Amino acid sequence: MTATTTVVPGDETSRAPSETQWQIVLRRFRKHKIAVVSLVLLVMLVIISALAPVIAPFPRDAPNLQTRFVPPFTVDSQGNFRLFGTDHLGRDFYTRLLYASRVSLGTAFFATLIASTIGILLGMIAGYFGGWVDIAISRTLEVVATFPTLLLLLIMSSILVQNINSIPIPDFFANFLAWIFAVSPREARIIFAVILVLSLFGWTGTARLMRGMVLSVRENVYIESSRALGASNVRILGRHVFPNALPPMIVDFTLGINATLVAESALSFLGFGIQDPTPTWGNMLSFAQSYMFQHPWMPLIPSLPILFCSIAINYIGDGLRDALDPRQRG
Amino acid sequence: MVAFLVRRIFQMFVVTIVAALLSYGLLYLVPGGPVDALLAERQNSGQDRINQADIQRVQQRFDLDVYLPFRFTRWLIGWPSGPLFGSIGADWAIGCQTPGQVRLVYPDGTFELVEEGCADYLTLAELEGRRVSRGVFFGDFGVSQVILRDRPVSDLIATRLPYTLSLMGASILFAILIGVPIGIYSAVKQYSRFDYTMTTIAFIGSSLPSFVFGIFAILIFSILAQRAGLPFLPPGDAVGVRDYTIPWIGTVEAGSFLDRFLRFLMPVSVLTFINIAGWSRFVRGSMLEVLQQDYVRTARAKGVREQVVITKHALRNSLIPFVTLLAGVLAALFGGALITESVFNWPGLGRLFIDALGRNDYNVVMALLFINVVLLLIGILITDILYTIVDPRIRLG
Repeated sequence: MTATTTVVPGDETSRAPSETQWQIVLRRFRKHKIAVVSLVLLVMLVIISALAPVIAPFPRDAPNLQTRFVPPFTVDSQGNFRLFGTDHLGRDFYTRLLYASRVSLGTAFFATLIASTIGILLGMIAGYFGGWVDIAISRTLEVVATFPTLLLLLIMSSILVQNINSIPIPDFFANFLAWIFAVSPREARIIFAVILVLSLFGWTGTARLMRGMVLSVRENVYIESSRALGASNVRILGRHVFPNALPPMIVDFTLGINATLVAESALSFLGFGIQDPTPTWGNMLSFAQSYMFQHPWMPLIPSLPILFCSIAINYIGDGLRDALDPRQRG
Repeated sequence: MVAFLVRRIFQMFVVTIVAALLSYGLLYLVPGGPVDALLAERQNSGQDRINQADIQRVQQRFDLDVYLPFRFTRWLIGWPSGPLFGSIGADWAIGCQTPGQVRLVYPDGTFELVEEGCADYLTLAELEGRRVSRGVFFGDFGVSQVILRDRPVSDLIATRLPYTLSLMGASILFAILIGVPIGIYSAVKQYSRFDYTMTTIAFIGSSLPSFVFGIFAILIFSILAQRAGLPFLPPGDAVGVRDYTIPWIGTVEAGSFLDRFLRFLMPVSVLTFINIAGWSRFVRGSMLEVLQQDYVRTARAKGVREQVVITKHALRNSLIPFVTLLAGVLAALFGGALITESVFNWPGLGRLFIDALGRNDYNVVMALLFINVVLLLIGILITDILYTIVDPRIRLG
């Protein structure tokens, strides 16, 4: 990225017109048309959800029993146009969907970020140092991988959400999360608990992948030569091992967001994740299911965003894989 | 092989204990136990306040007055259940029935009661005659506390097990029967129109959350079909409670074979579709790899017919990694499709787990979690052994 801007005398100037690595990646990514379209649409969704408090036409939680089950694209009895209709309490679906996008996407993003960070660090340490550190980390990985993840997710989430006040979360942090997710600090605590649970089980795949990558990168001559030059372990890991092991991690992170998004939706759908009145796609769908026999359009409203994001993120991951490492195409 | 088995079984034993500890600790170390629930219930219903005797009775019922390490061993192996060897240590303290209270008097005359120490210890002798399970380790999971009060958890599991087994068994079978040929054909005709279509469908199928898929199925095949006057499928439950009429088919009697079959159809199809995506992708990848091997080229060079090359030389070798999936299958058979069962209100083990968790029926939750972990471990062991049988190049060390 910097090769064209840094002024280096001599040979470097002649390389200026050539592409940097990230430009190559970008060029290759643009070839994957569906991935590009998915990315554009997803970015638009993120921007819209970030603007939720500004563009939402109605208050998020205000129930209105006169306007229950108003179908989409109609005007209710009070003369308000309802883009996506209203739910069983007369709350505006479009408004809640905007906030829900913010909560669902944000939760998935942060949980995956934490999980990937843990996974990358542990995988890097295990792969680079080897020996008993590797054995300890790998064994832990194996044990965690034998756990039935969904059952544990449900149990942990149910326990933490039930006892939300006994988790020590500093007020400033809760307020910060509340600002990010556009919810009250109390709701933010529950969201944080769910993020915590989701990230607790999401790191094993990343750690295994990173360990494998580091094991192969470690054998390169440039690692040996930088060690010969007297570089410290931290410098070698940061400057050489990490950047060279990064490409598969980016793909892993992208697909991880999808997995976490689906997991969070499932938790909230089953009633053990983020709770009403905080809207998420999962808990909105769960309520919609109860009324779908009278109002068949209801489940479509929260499930279409889940479907769209799920497919879009997978295509973006696919495109990134093609762009970052064409050999891995399967 | 024997040394491997011994070491592996020992490892499994250790992991099982860890899993037991974990599942026990997870549920019992958190606030919000049975006593809290009772307190909350009484306070909300406005009945008379509960007194110390009530608390003691509840604690006794759930073994809460026994110290944690012993409570755990009583749960795990049903020990200790009275004085050791009949007589030793009859008066040893093993728990605390009533906590001691200390009156803290402040200089300004106000005071506060603080729990400290123990006023009435529970001795081994007092444990005698108290209901105790033979231990989870020996297959006794205690009694259900909420869902079916005082009935053994194993009864509860036994009544739900057939539903999960039939659902999972059928869907896994169909998924293999459909998914494997698709995978093979995709690999043989790589980059053909069929391959692209199937890869895309599998791609979408594997990224779709199963609950969205299940709800769409109900929407289309139950609700919209019924509204359009077409034959429809009942949307949930395993057995109907009331007769219903389906166009073209006629009246379906609740509880009849047809009723059960119709209700079985949708959850099985949804699960099958989700599994097909996984199986076909797996077989395709494995097959593609084998098709590039030298012996496949040799067979073709010898002039062996393409059909024989594929079925005899490629297919049989490509199915070797297949056995790795079996580990997951065993646990899946039991754990069931939690989410799908929930969407279709199917009375299997997955739904039982959700119910038990939602209503704080700890014994049921712990039993299901424990059984699931053990089955996963057994599955992994079987996979390792099968691997050496189907692929002699692999040695267990």
